[in-house]
Amino acid sequence: MTMPTAVLSQDLLKLNGLSRHRAGRPAVQDLSLSLKRGQVLGLLGVNGAGKSTTLSMIAGALRPDSGTIELNGADFLEHPQQARQFIGWLPERAPQWPELTVGEHLNAHGRLRGLNGTALRQAREAITERLELSSLQRRLAGVLSQGQRQRLGLACALLHKPALLVLDEPANALDPVQVAALRGLIREQASAGTAVILSTHLLVEVTAVCDRVAILHEGRLHHDAPIAEGDHKSLEQSFFDIAMRGGSNSSIENKPAHPRNHAA
Amino acid sequence: MSVVAVTRLELRRLFVRPLAWVLAALTLGELAWRFILLLGQFLANQIKLAALPGGPGYTDLVAVPMLSSLLTGGFLPFGLAELALVIVPLLTMSVLAGDRGNGTLPLLFASGLSGSQIVLGKYLAVLLWLILWLLLVLAMPLSVAQGTHLDWGKFAAASWGLLLMLASLAALGVACSAFASHPAIAAAASLMLGLGLTIINLGAQMAGVGNGAINWLALSSHLEPLLRGLVSSVDLIWFALLIALSLMLAIRRVSAERERG
Repeated sequence: MTMPTAVLSQDLLKLNGLSRHRAGRPAVQDLSLSLKRGQVLGLLGVNGAGKSTTLSMIAGALRPDSGTIELNGADFLEHPQQARQFIGWLPERAPQWPELTVGEHLNAHGRLRGLNGTALRQAREAITERLELSSLQRRLAGVLSQGQRQRLGLACALLHKPALLVLDEPANALDPVQVAALRGLIREQASAGTAVILSTHLLVEVTAVCDRVAILHEGRLHHDAPIAEGDHKSLEQSFFDIAMRGGSNSSIENKPAHPRNHAA
Repeated sequence: MSVVAVTRLELRRLFVRPLAWVLAALTLGELAWRFILLLGQFLANQIKLAALPGGPGYTDLVAVPMLSSLLTGGFLPFGLAELALVIVPLLTMSVLAGDRGNGTLPLLFASGLSGSQIVLGKYLAVLLWLILWLLLVLAMPLSVAQGTHLDWGKFAAASWGLLLMLASLAALGVACSAFASHPAIAAAASLMLGLGLTIINLGAQMAGVGNGAINWLALSSHLEPLLRGLVSSVDLIWFALLIALSLMLAIRRVSAERERG
């Protein structure tokens, strides 16, 4: 499924001057970003750079100290219930209720997102089939392997067909085959018009699936630019410059990238 | 609708955990034993009691004492009210502290739920479990009601009192779970607060002080009139205040968690 160009050119998400303190230190400082439908943004940074805090704020799990988040043209902080419909979030380590089965997790997440009855059943069947979770439906989340937990978290995030998919270190604990399947899934979602934010500290993940990369360091945005073919080396150089020496804001481009042709 | 989704999720979690079933089975067994002992005592003294004009009957000697030891004292096993002081903290300890430990509380925030929706949804789930437990206990004295003369008004007042007590302890437990970093801490805090509220006026009573602020604070001062069949608005307001205050504190704490992270 592809979306009309007019819809794709609208900003789905806009962050303006987002700041947040955690544990007495600034975790995110004056962060501004925008994301269009069908775009895949890679959020790169070393541990503690502020990636998870940024994603938690975008997902609605954490309120910023200052700044605004616009989602689909509306103030997300004024209307946090928008998260229910528009956002699917896979937090780091995919937290789950260990006493519930895979099927019960999907039911609970579906109901929390407003799905019920036939719509919930159909959505559950489609996503369990897509992520190969059908045989695990009756298994308790507490006994799943880390890779299976990750897939369940992904299924919960995708169940309600969100417009914005927020993935925090989704490739953690996945084997190479599962990583390849995850990349395929991200491309498929982007082709269908879903905006994706992917947080990782692996450059290869970003160059493999993202249209754009944003590099965070000590809570500040140091680089925001589209990725072109064969950019891996220069991106690696920028990343290490920023990570080792603090970098500068010279690589921030205001012009967002056009989504890649993910359907290809 | 969101509150219902949280209630369903929490009920599911309660029903799939063995703890809730074990607690229900053990307490119902203990209360059945208490019921048989009370019934045995009543039957043994039936001829003497029949001779007393206006003397106590099945309601005063079996049905209501099933619910609490407040009126009976003695060496009988605990009544429902005393068991509730232990059962409710065990049921409520994980509702929010467990979510905090699992890292699942942010998932609820990210579903667009407010602090009040999360707290109320979880509170309703615990309350539904406790109502089911109370109904199973009430079924024991009611099972022989056809063969005897049950004072329905007094029994209803006592049942209402127990329901209010369970609702208050559940609210207190949810508040403790909202503040605690670990379920065990929540259970201990909830148990101590519940016990404290029940016996806070013990010293005053021993000193012969029948009224005053300390007696007004005590849970037992408000439960006892209801167990005796006396429904007063002061008692109902006290329970309503305790529930509202506990839930308000829990909501503030959960909402602050989204702010503070």
